[in-house]
Amino acid sequence: MTSGTTGAETPQNIDQHTGPGPNVDIAKKRRQIDLVKKFREEKLFAFGVIVVALSIFLAFFGPVIAPYDPTLATGDVSFAPPSLLKWPTLFWQTITGQLDQPPHWFGTDNSGLDIFSRTIAAPRTDMTIALLAALVSLVAGTVLGLVAGFYKNWATEVLMRTSDLMQAFPVFITAMILVALAGRNTSNIILALGLVYTPIFVRLTRAEVLGQKTRGYVTAARAVGNREWVVAFRHVLPNSVVPSLIQTSTTIGFAILLTAGLSFVGAGVRPPTPEWGSMIALGSQQIILGEWWQSVFPGIAISLTVFGFATVGHGLEEEYR
Amino acid sequence: MILRFIIRRVLIAIVQLVGISLVVFFLIRLLPADPVARLVGMNATPEAYAQAEASIGLDRSVMQQLGNYLGVFSDSKVPGIAQGSLGDSWTTGSPVIEEIGRFLPVTLELITYSLLISFLIAVPTAMASATRPGGFGDKATFVWGLFAGSQPEFWWGLMFVFFFFFWTFDTFGVSLAPAPLGRMNPLLYEPNVITGFIVIDALIQGQFKAFVDAAWHLMLPVGTLVFVVSGPIIKMVRQNMVRVLRSDYILYARSCGHSDRAVAMYALRAAMAPAMTLIGIFYGFLLGGAVPIELIFALGGLGEYSIRSILNFDYPAIQGTVLIIAIVSLLIYLTIDILHAFLDPRITF
Repeated sequence: MTSGTTGAETPQNIDQHTGPGPNVDIAKKRRQIDLVKKFREEKLFAFGVIVVALSIFLAFFGPVIAPYDPTLATGDVSFAPPSLLKWPTLFWQTITGQLDQPPHWFGTDNSGLDIFSRTIAAPRTDMTIALLAALVSLVAGTVLGLVAGFYKNWATEVLMRTSDLMQAFPVFITAMILVALAGRNTSNIILALGLVYTPIFVRLTRAEVLGQKTRGYVTAARAVGNREWVVAFRHVLPNSVVPSLIQTSTTIGFAILLTAGLSFVGAGVRPPTPEWGSMIALGSQQIILGEWWQSVFPGIAISLTVFGFATVGHGLEEEYR
Repeated sequence: MILRFIIRRVLIAIVQLVGISLVVFFLIRLLPADPVARLVGMNATPEAYAQAEASIGLDRSVMQQLGNYLGVFSDSKVPGIAQGSLGDSWTTGSPVIEEIGRFLPVTLELITYSLLISFLIAVPTAMASATRPGGFGDKATFVWGLFAGSQPEFWWGLMFVFFFFFWTFDTFGVSLAPAPLGRMNPLLYEPNVITGFIVIDALIQGQFKAFVDAAWHLMLPVGTLVFVVSGPIIKMVRQNMVRVLRSDYILYARSCGHSDRAVAMYALRAAMAPAMTLIGIFYGFLLGGAVPIELIFALGGLGEYSIRSILNFDYPAIQGTVLIIAIVSLLIYLTIDILHAFLDPRITF
């Protein structure tokens, strides 16, 4: 990946070429328009943005708009979902209030929990874990990477060797160990995933910083009497953070996969918390008996969400490269 | 020359392995888990608790525990790493290294076949896609690569089981795939263990029936992994092919009048090197990351062993698993770096 030479709004271009002035605003505007244009023109990117927006919306409002309580049994055990042909009629009857209870759009599982409610309530768990884990690794990785790239001494050398060592660890096993031994709750999963994904960001930021720190604007910032850490955090950091920000989208996707995978093997959040991976696991014993709906719907949700984050990540990467 | 490179790499690897063992050792002891309570149960008397604690050596100081694990300054009867042992499992009591020796080949067989097939599918697909950039096939391959690389493989595994085992039986009366209950039909004799790869063992001992049955049982798990893993590999090979096809030496080869096919073969050789690296990374990742697939198909691989040891707080088994996985991954990386040199003449050691 090239260092941020394409970033038109970044300070070094202003320093080196045009000087501050009206150009800055134009440059900023152009970058925003590019993304809107990308959204309009590239169907795949648009799809990704919509999926990401929807998943974040459901993380906030999913449990609120769910027709049933996602953790309470309804008494309808192992109901198959109504056939797709009946959905329009059922939908009409629901909004006009002709039914005494809302239909089980996705059926119910073998303890009577409503799959539809659980599927749309699950982003509260999955997205919280994935977003916070990505945030933890982004912040920790960027700061450590900046320090490791900016200062060169034995401490940062140790830091980089530790980071190398952590990348040699098997990701899935490490996450399982951390979560299972520290206790299977949300905050431990967030910390475990954050720790597992930090080395990627350390590496990305450090590579970027190494390319930036010999540039003219860094010398200029020093020459006007800024202290070292001010130069590092106020001047070098904003210019080195873009690759990490782009990586974040992909990392969120992988964190969703890992969260679901951990619950699936029994080392993640505990049932009956609505979570896609544990829903698939609960349905997996039923699937050879033909009760497909318990696993199918949460799986489709994961599949679309992670693909959405991957397309957004890819789109951004293409745009900024 | 190459020997010096290998020796240097092995030395670095040994340092890394020591680092990994130490990190795992201290990490699992730092986390607030109580393996003794897991062994004796919540309602055990303090005496029973103390006895269990002493029997697994957790009553010693952490440094003494480390000594026992490494096998230097040891005060326990169980041999340590220096004596070529990874200790005894706390749940089963048998040596960890023997248990891993039983579970590891299953995982190796699963992921070796999967990555081999993914590679064989990915290279021609990526070549076709890269030689006609921008075409429909190219776009479809690209979307496929992005999609497959971001899929929950365990869910697809379940879907395949539902479709090929249940649905086909329900509709046509024949299952296209066996029940996901192990590596072989339990009514057939398993072949003697030679390589540990059940399909190959059956083949070299001439047990045709066992060979077919084992291959049939591996069809879906391997298929699932190929489905997920081939995506990113196709993407990677295609990206490299496009880049290489634009390079000067391809232009030179073209201007010398080579046919398109011959030029593509030149390009392929250079584009393969990064793909090999990716295969190596996937190999390391899947050694521990194939757990869900192993569970779905009840294969009894290293992943299942590791999740069992982790949920039982079986420290020697956890330490052993991580160390063995690290050793195998480092060996794979080394092999791939050596292969690189043969593929790409620009690399020298």
